[in-house]
Amino acid sequence: MNTFVRWLGYLFVIFIAAPLLVVVPMSFSTSSSLEFPPPGLSLQYYEKFFSDPAWLRPAWNSILIASATTILTMILVIPATFALVRHRFWGKGIANLMMMMPLAVPHIVMAVGYYSYFGELRLVHTHLGVILAHTCLSVPITFLVLSANLKGFDRTLEQAARSLGASPRRVFLHITLPILRPGLMISALFAFIQSFDETVVAIFISGRGAETLPRKMFDSIRQEADPVIAVVSTLLFVAVILGLLAPQIVKAVQSALGRSARNASE
Amino acid sequence: MSSYLQLSGINKTYGNFTALENVDLEVEKGEFVTFLGPSGSGKTTTLMLIAGFATPTRGTIDIEGASLAGLDPQDRNIGIVFQNYALFPHKTAAENVYFPLQMRDVKRLEGMRRADEMLDLVGLAGFSHRYPKELSGGQQQRVALARALVFEPDLLLLDEPLGALDKNLREQMQIEIKRIQKKLGVTTIFVTHDQTEAMSMSDRICVFSNGKIEQLGKPLDIYHRPKTKFVADFIGESNLIPARITDAANCKAQSNVLGDVTYGTQSGTELRDGQEVSLVIRPEHLKLSSKRLADRMSAGIEIETIVNYGDNALVIGTSESQQIRVRVPGADVVILNEGDKCFISWTQDDVFVVTD
Amino acid sequence: MMRRMTRLVDHQTIWPWLLLLPLAVYLLVFFAVPLIEVLKMSVTEPKPGLGNYQKVFTGALYGKVFLNTFGTATLVTVCCLIVGYPLAYLMSNTTPRRAMMILLLITMSFWTSFLVRTYAWMVLLGNNGPIIWLIEMIGIADPPGLLFTRFSSTLAMVHILAPYMIMNIYSVMKKIDPVLIRSAESMGARGGSLFRHIYLPLTAPGIANGAVLVFVICLGFYVTPVLLGSPREQMVAGLIGNQIEQFLAFGLGSAMAVVLLVITLIVLGIYHSRFGLDKLWG
Repeated sequence: MNTFVRWLGYLFVIFIAAPLLVVVPMSFSTSSSLEFPPPGLSLQYYEKFFSDPAWLRPAWNSILIASATTILTMILVIPATFALVRHRFWGKGIANLMMMMPLAVPHIVMAVGYYSYFGELRLVHTHLGVILAHTCLSVPITFLVLSANLKGFDRTLEQAARSLGASPRRVFLHITLPILRPGLMISALFAFIQSFDETVVAIFISGRGAETLPRKMFDSIRQEADPVIAVVSTLLFVAVILGLLAPQIVKAVQSALGRSARNASE
Repeated sequence: MSSYLQLSGINKTYGNFTALENVDLEVEKGEFVTFLGPSGSGKTTTLMLIAGFATPTRGTIDIEGASLAGLDPQDRNIGIVFQNYALFPHKTAAENVYFPLQMRDVKRLEGMRRADEMLDLVGLAGFSHRYPKELSGGQQQRVALARALVFEPDLLLLDEPLGALDKNLREQMQIEIKRIQKKLGVTTIFVTHDQTEAMSMSDRICVFSNGKIEQLGKPLDIYHRPKTKFVADFIGESNLIPARITDAANCKAQSNVLGDVTYGTQSGTELRDGQEVSLVIRPEHLKLSSKRLADRMSAGIEIETIVNYGDNALVIGTSESQQIRVRVPGADVVILNEGDKCFISWTQDDVFVVTD
Repeated sequence: MMRRMTRLVDHQTIWPWLLLLPLAVYLLVFFAVPLIEVLKMSVTEPKPGLGNYQKVFTGALYGKVFLNTFGTATLVTVCCLIVGYPLAYLMSNTTPRRAMMILLLITMSFWTSFLVRTYAWMVLLGNNGPIIWLIEMIGIADPPGLLFTRFSSTLAMVHILAPYMIMNIYSVMKKIDPVLIRSAESMGARGGSLFRHIYLPLTAPGIANGAVLVFVICLGFYVTPVLLGSPREQMVAGLIGNQIEQFLAFGLGSAMAVVLLVITLIVLGIYHSRFGLDKLWG
């Protein structure tokens, strides 16, 4: 029983891993069709990606839109999270629910709404329209990450700072903000990824004017399954790996720097 | 009016819950006063009111005759050591200590120098550049102390600062805190629920229970002359024996368990004839013997349990279904057996009366 | 003066609402209004009335699509459970190093855009792909196409959503004290009975969480079914997209969107009343 379940587990590990393994070799393929394993290796599709505005423009749009979405989301969510975590007030339950609603509504439903609403506001096919929509969709995940961090924040640190002579404003700047910085960075990263990966709403409202990378990928897969898609996938995949390994890399660099600094001081 | 810190008529209520009721307290300059009591007794609430993190519902707090009312915590110039130390994790030990100076616009160079001096004083020379997570519990404690003292506060508040340390370290820190406090002469209020800590460190102890001050006095007075049943029970071990006053003028009472008893002269509380009270006898003041002793008052008990601690032993006996605890020297315990019938004896000065 | 002002505000409930206000207004304008727009269109386009809903509930095509969506979501949820449970079990009963590697793999998969993962399945299941090649190796001469079938879209959705299930089950399973298992074994619990009496009840909250998440996401899934699924067996989200993009039937599309939304909210509502929604994504 036990061993059976284990072997089943390993089988499913392969199931999870397999799709991640085919993407990278595909990007170096010489073939123009979905042939696996690739008949030959080349960098031709990388060249194509990095020289084709039809791919570069959406990539740039996505970075732009995700960055703006992140900033707007953080500006809106940070104060709201402080209110919801640190205060008790009438209507708090409803406010909490309100923060989570964008996660509960299927994106296709929102896409229909934005398509029509932003059409009236002349925001369809504009960067601004996508940013405004993405900000709504990024609110819940950003709030979840940030509120978890804020809940874990030891408020006696603020009391201590007050007793040591800091005004509330200085407590916030010198104590609260620096200690929360990692949490803020992570929640910002979540907002960025949420926007960068969002596909459905972007398909409906980004149009040609503000076409995002996921939309371009979607169209490409649907129409011709252009092998450049494998290049994009590989690049995104490498970004994810770098992102996941970033903490280890930072730690390694820090300890290396620390060692050399210590050596220098001795 | 001449006292340094004065709390008068402090009340604090949260909705229907009364956290503090009519607390009056005067502390002299340079004094070390301990707030002792179980959790929820109001000692920490009082501390928070002095620190300015809460406002009293009624009553005033003055330092050197000037009211603290309306002053924000940052304007009170009071140093606090929190239970969990509350060291800023993103600042080194020295930066933590420099923080209050920074808030008082002391230049970094000068401030860091003073911080280092202070770390030196608390025995942490050489640890300036460590971050809190790189320090042991005891070291963190010292940094917190240095930080609370570096700006020469008018008052030092310590909120159960030793609770998280193990026993040996705790004793070491008790001595250390006392040394530094004496050296700097800072008026100190120390909150704890540990009576031995209170006994060993304080000039005076203020015992809290249910939002009220039960008794305020020197440690030995509190130990030897508790005024209430609560204090007698909370501080040290006690045998509390119900009794009735028969002749208040001549210090006589009558109890089912001990018979007729003459108690030590009482100061403070007025007793009436016929009043129901409790007699208190400390276990170490009782003597065990096989016969009645002529020069001492005595009563018979049957030994139920003997618990050995090596240097001493606790003998628990019963008389009239009341448990009596007796401390005997370790060497004496060998001749005792559970089930033995013997006598406990005491003198007049060993017995005192408390009311509820 | 300033201090008195902040004091006054602080003591009432105005201050938290002031902090919330920008976001509340924002969500009202850019979230609630578009949602209401959908509701409005469903009863006004092309003409006022409940005609669209009548079509959705009586038209054979629409009923079939909703049923198909439900069936697929259920199937995907069950498959995710079948994949997720042994994986979570493996992770909590292997060396920390190996568990870490598997966890890393799953996190990697989770963070990889599902467009990328959908594309990967197109490669794997394609006519020139490794799986068809394998089938031919076994000796089946002319294997049926795997791509653009219900099978391919279901498989890809299971792969995409399984991490939700795995992480939820794993988070409760790793908290099970091994002493508990050993003591149950010492009392004679083996295999099936150990699973039934110890593992299942203790991991039930994780299963419930994972299942609700997977089911709800699957109900409204657009990208993968559209790209990998059979055009003849659409799911609701794809059909809504069709109505809007191809037929410009805003009213009908909106009505289906509303029905999808209501079903989603009912599922979440049931979950909320039993466990509390805040636990779902926590």
